Amino acid sequence: MSSTPDDAAPAPLVPPVTTTQVYQVVIRATPQAVWDALVDPEQTRRYFHRALIEVVGDRIVSHRPDGALWTDGAILELDAPHRLVHEWRSLYDPVSAQEPASRVTWQIDDRGDGTVLLTAVHDHLDGSPHTASSVSGIGWTTVLSGLKTLLETGEPLVP
Amino acid sequence: MEDDDRVFKALADPTRRLLLDTLLAHPGASLTELESAVAAEGVTMTRFGVMKHLKVLTEAGLVVTRRDGRRTLHHLNPVPVQLVHDRWITRFTEGPAQVLADLKHTLEDQP
Repeated sequence: MSSTPDDAAPAPLVPPVTTTQVYQVVIRATPQAVWDALVDPEQTRRYFHRALIEVVGDRIVSHRPDGALWTDGAILELDAPHRLVHEWRSLYDPVSAQEPASRVTWQIDDRGDGTVLLTAVHDHLDGSPHTASSVSGIGWTTVLSGLKTLLETGEPLVP
Repeated sequence: MEDDDRVFKALADPTRRLLLDTLLAHPGASLTELESAVAAEGVTMTRFGVMKHLKVLTEAGLVVTRRDGRRTLHHLNPVPVQLVHDRWITRFTEGPAQVLADLKHTLEDQP
């Protein structure tokens, strides 16, 4: 029962879901340098939770330092050095691994002043709540902040 | 203005922190939905006032907007806060971590 007339009711908020997560950072680097850092395992291991990420055919896969398969997803769009869209499946966690593939979009925009705006959007998470909560917040923020630090200083945050 | 200055200035206002809290709970909220959230907290503010606060948050990189048809969706971007954390906290912990590492070596090297 509500005592508020419909015409006076405030617009309802969207449900508290994290089915679309957006992360953004400005990096003092060229678009090509950022692109290379996204797909070069020698660089990804220094900022991406130690994962070794590489493009293998039409897939993007990552391994842990001990060789275990960490993530594996089809590449949906590749326009170097501007845009990379790929599936995301967290294989490092048994519950997440059973969930449907989600989607990660990397967008690299040249700001024309020696910096780029890097945007990572992780969406299609509606059917993957476990994956959504495991990557949200610090999962992605440390990746983007770590990438910025690596490209701007040449040194990883965590040696 | 330096990036850090923008972040701290943006965070130094209770209404802007309320907007960030709302976006944390409701990713992708529209301007109208954010207006309602502010009003629900008893803060009286015009639509223009909310827009002004969102502009400060956006310029600090704490809010990122996306288009969905005719709607503009707002998302909290936590990366600038992570960078602040990295700058003061992560580096700060390097010292104690090194002390412990040295202690480990000292103890383990003893006969």
